[in-house]
Formats: sequence, structure tokens, C-alpha cells
Amino acid sequence: MSDAPTKNPGWAGNTGEFDLTEAQVRGDDFVGTRPLEGAHPAGAPSYAFMRAERDPEAPLFEGPYQTRFEKLLTRYPEKRAALLPVLALAQEVRGHLSPESMARVAELLELPDAYVRGVATFYTMYNKREVGRFLVQVCTNISCNLCGADDVLAAFLRATDTEPGETSADGDFTVVEAECLAACGFPTCVQINSRYYENVSPEDVPAILERIRERGE
Amino acid sequence: MAYPYTSEHEVRVLSEHFGDPTARTLEGARAKGRYETLRKAFEMDRDDVIEVVKASGLRGRGGAGFPTGVKWSFMPKDDGKPHYLLCNADESEPGTFKDRELIRWDPHQLIEGCLIAAYAIRAQHVYIYCRGEFFEASAILGRAVEEAYEAGLIGRDILGSGVEIDLTVHIGAGAYICGEETGLMNSLEGRRGQPRVKPPFPAAVGAFGKPTTINNVETLAAVPHIVEHGAEWYRQWGTEKSPGTKLFCVSGHVKRPGNYELPLGFPLQTLIDEVCGGIRDGNALKAVIPGGSSVPIMNAEEVAACSLDYEGVVACGSMLGCASVIVMDETTDIVKQVRRVAYFYAHESCGQCTPCREGTTWVTKILQRIEDGRGTEEDLDTLVEVTDQMTGTTICVLSDSVAAPVQSSITKFRDEYLALIRRGERVGAA
Ligand SMILES: Cc1cc2nc3c(=O)[nH]c(=O)nc-3n(C[C@H](O)[C@H](O)[C@H](O)COP(=O)(O)O)c2cc1C
Ligand code: SF4
Ligand code: FES
Repeated sequence: MSDAPTKNPGWAGNTGEFDLTEAQVRGDDFVGTRPLEGAHPAGAPSYAFMRAERDPEAPLFEGPYQTRFEKLLTRYPEKRAALLPVLALAQEVRGHLSPESMARVAELLELPDAYVRGVATFYTMYNKREVGRFLVQVCTNISCNLCGADDVLAAFLRATDTEPGETSADGDFTVVEAECLAACGFPTCVQINSRYYENVSPEDVPAILERIRERGE
Repeated sequence: MAYPYTSEHEVRVLSEHFGDPTARTLEGARAKGRYETLRKAFEMDRDDVIEVVKASGLRGRGGAGFPTGVKWSFMPKDDGKPHYLLCNADESEPGTFKDRELIRWDPHQLIEGCLIAAYAIRAQHVYIYCRGEFFEASAILGRAVEEAYEAGLIGRDILGSGVEIDLTVHIGAGAYICGEETGLMNSLEGRRGQPRVKPPFPAAVGAFGKPTTINNVETLAAVPHIVEHGAEWYRQWGTEKSPGTKLFCVSGHVKRPGNYELPLGFPLQTLIDEVCGGIRDGNALKAVIPGGSSVPIMNAEEVAACSLDYEGVVACGSMLGCASVIVMDETTDIVKQVRRVAYFYAHESCGQCTPCREGTTWVTKILQRIEDGRGTEEDLDTLVEVTDQMTGTTICVLSDSVAAPVQSSITKFRDEYLALIRRGERVGAA
């Protein structure tokens, strides 16, 4: 393409003007100890991110996570309203929502187990089974599709030697097709864990994967 | 040239600080005048704030284009109940990418707009519902909220005015349907995000059963400017019925895709040719979807005649929606793209209504069959018939959203369907 689109600057634009880390986006002082302590009850820093390091057996809502859980409850007039962010918190620790994790959330929020499962399965961002350390979501919806998203998806699958939804042998990558990520002017948009990569073309794929392996985020 | 691209045609009111990270901090935002209008609004009578917004003619930027001031005036007064303001930042309509930019470049503009709106509608609590994928945007927003709380701009006795408003960023978990206003309320309450039957309308029974107003991010971001400068100032742009400026999200086969803030009524052809530098590779234009994937497709002839205001786009056979302009050049495979859009709706249908749940799946399957060269001409009649039955028969308009691209493409690009059906030939590659 002659007049190639520039990279959209910001946290997302990994190849753009700034290349910010999660810490810089959330505020250096917010990452590390502070977000875990929860900061101001209204601030987003106590919300969940998608992390590469997690443990499906890790204890839920202990230590700093207990504080974050309690902060979430203060934001709503009803306990049930905290369900979505609390499920996200559980997923941040464990990487996916097992039936046992959902049962624990149900117990804490005083909701029926079946209700929590019904809600959790309604939303696509809750992983119902384990995924790779890096979940690669390639938007193939119309705007990205017009600009070659199918080829980008194919390139990720080839580079990781996987089928859609399958985790690579080393446990690092799961590549899936995603719906519109609201970055349609910067196609193809790819979300890898919490980060957006924009203007991705098939040629960029090896470099992106290498960068992720190196930086671990 | 800054922020991926800009153009001299632009009137950058809301997008003035796109590409400039200094507006993200409270200090930077205040240096740019943010929160000055808040003080002014709190000195006004609440109903006068509603009147200014009404007089400005501002229309909802979330898709439906409903006049914002009129919506606010539906909120009960002195009913003694808690009221809520919900800001819709679920942005998931394919082709739309403005709200994320408004949040991540200028979060304080949105917070100020939310506070003024909350004051006007007598809400004590604002929830900004961000789609779950917006980790970056919601982190930036959350940080801005925290800074504003610490500076006494949110919370008890804001700026010593005695006004109390809380503001919470709520994060979704991946479901397009949560952008529908009552689906969003259910999702906020910790339920499946399935739309509710209306009436009762949100202004009577909304979030947590209380009177609620819901507005899009872009709508609320415009509010401080209108309250600051007045209705007449805002009306210097746009048309009588569609006043003001609007962010146009241009994607697809143009040389310079991106967000452009233009006066409503701007010619679509000029947007493509001049603002966006024309079609890539010198190709010819085939089609445009002017308002996000759920509005009818326009052909090149309609595009040439189209002015981008709510009425102008309707006159050319489509709808402005959220002004997400998807441009397709001559290499486009229309059938494939319509099938991709139909697949999206099948994936996102919440499943409550039979015409939508079954219809979206059928339509996708039939389109896939045609795309694979196994279709028949009767399939086209079936598609029209099925989508007819999906229109006006369901709880929300997601179902109708499938009919628009399917029916308009069958009417306007019938040749492409027939080529696939008769000879198994694809017209385009993309
Ligand atoms: C299926 C569906 C999805 C929608 N998605 C969004 C969305 O992502 N963002 C948005 O602001 N409005 C969306 N809307 C429109 C909202 O229901 C609502 O009209 C809007 O948020 C009102 O705000 P406004 O008056 O400021 O436009 C959607 C509507 C439907 C039917
Ligand atoms: S029309 Fe579709 S998405 Fe809307 S409520 Fe009915 S089933 Fe759900
Ligand atoms: S279509 Fe890919 S981000 Fe919107």
C-alpha cells in the first residue's frame, strides 16, 4: 500500500512513537504494590488485567486480592453488581474460570452457583478453560477484513503452529479470531493479553511474537 | 501532520488533544481549561443546563441520534429517589473507533461532561461502562478519575458547591449486546447483558430499578463545550436538524483512515477524496457503509450525492448511525463482507428472541453457502424473506441490524450474488 497508515501512537502502538509499558499506562506508582492495595475505591487500578504469569491452583481473593475485592463491593448499591469485575479478578489470578472458581465467587457474593455460571458463560472474555500464557485475538471483522485480517490470522496460526483456539505445544500461545476491537481505522488490530497491537500485517507477526517472549507482556 | 492523520477540513472541538498525551494528567487537562465549565454549570439552575443542551440541538452519538436535552428532560424531578447517569463506552459496532480515542486522549473532558450531565439530571452516581477489551483506555480513565477525586472534583461537595456526585468506571466482559442501553443496565447489575422490554423506559425504571439516563461517550464529551460557549456557538456548525461537529471514523480502503472531526452535513465524497486522500492504489470506489455495520450499504452513485447529517444519509438510502464510514473499493467481495457481518450478529445475538437467534444463524449459513458457490437464486428470495421476518419483531434492534446490510446488498449488488450463484465466480478478492 503506497500511503501506508501510520501506527496509532499510544500504549497500543507497539511500533509507534511511544512504547509504553503497562506500568506507564496505569501510572508507575499504580503498578506493583499500589494497584494491589487498591488505591482509591473509584480508581480502575484495582481492576483486573490479563497477565501471562498465573496459576490455576492459586488461592483466590487472598492478601492484596482480598482488598481489591472489598474495594469493588463498595462501588455498587448491590453486591451482585460486583460480579463481572470479581470474575475478572479471579481470572487474573488463575488464567481461566474453572467451575470451582465460579463456585467460590458465588459463595462470596451470595449468589446461586448456577446463576454465576449462567452469567460467566454469557461473556466472551471469561476463559472457560485454560489458554496459553498469551491469548492472541485477531480481529477479522469487516474493517480489518477489508485490509487483510484473514492473512494476519493465518500468519499467527502458522508462526505458532496451532489451529484456532488450540494452545501451542510450549503453552505460550492460543490464537483465536475476535470480533471488532474498536480500532478499525488501524487495521489489522490484534489484542494480545491486555495490549492492542495495531496496523499489524502478516510480516509483523514474527517480530511481535519474539517481542512478547522477550518482554513477557 | 499529527495524530495519525488530520485534515484542514476538520473542526477539532472534541478531538483537539488527540495525539497529545499531556491532556491525560489532571494538571495538563486543567492547563487546557478542563473543569472550568463545571464550576459555571454548578452555578446554573439544573433545568437551565438542560435547556442549553436542548437548544444546541445536540443529538445522541451512540447511533440513534435522539436529542440529548430532550432525553434529559424525561428524568423525574424531586422524586426523592437516587438517579443514575450511565455513560456508554461499550463501543463495539464494527467500524466504530472514536470513544476509545476520546477516553484515552482526553479522559478529563469526558469526566467533566459526565459531571455536568449528572448535575442536570439530578444523578448522584455516574457509571462509565467500558467494554472489557479497553484495558488501556479504562486504566487511563481510572487514573484520571482517581486524580479528580483527590482534587475534589468528584465526590462530596465538588468545588465547594455542595453538589455530591460519585463516578465509577465499570468494566464489561466482552459482549456487543451490552452496548444496547437496557442490556448495559443488566450487565452493570451483574446479570447477563440481555436487553429489557420497553416500556418501562430507563428514565422511569433504569439501572438498579431507579430513574436512569444513558448517553454515549461522544455525546457527553460535547456537553462541556456547549455549556461553556452556548447553543448558538454550537449551531455555527452542521445543519438545522443536525447541528454541531461529529467524529467520523473512516476505515477500509482509503489512503488515510482514522478519526476526523467534521461539521455535520459534510459531503461524503469529499471526506473520502480529500480528507482521507482518496481510495488506495488509485482504485475505484465500489461501496460505503456510512454508519457502522448495521446500516444499509450505499453504492458509488449514492455516495456522490450524500451529505453526512442524519437526514442527508437517510435521503441517500442509509443511516448515519455512529458515523463509522467503511469504504470499499472495486476489489471488495461484497458477499464475503456481508457474510462476515452477518456472522458477527449471529455470534452476538443474546438469544432471547427467536427471530433473532434463529434468523441470524440461518442468514449466515445461507450467505456462506452462496459464498462457497453452492447457492441458488431462490436463496436470495429466502434471505429477503427471513430478514423481513427479523425486522420489527424483537426486543432490541440487533435483529433489524442484519436485515439492513443483507437486503441493501442484495438490491444494490445483486450481480455479485448472481455471479457467485451462476458461475461460482467471486467478483473481488478482498
Ligand atoms: C445492538 C445495539 C448495540 C449498541 N451499541 C452501542 C455502543 O456500543 N455504544 C453506544 O454508545 N451506543 C450503543 N447502542 C445505542 C444505545 O442503545 C443507546 O441508544 C445510546 O447509548 C444512547 O446514547 P446517546 O443518546 O448519547 O446516543 C447500541 C444499540 C443497539 C441496539
Ligand atoms: S433482538 Fe436479538 S440481541 Fe436483541 S434482545 Fe432479541 S435476541 Fe437479544
Ligand atoms: S473491524 Fe477490526 S477493530 Fe473494528
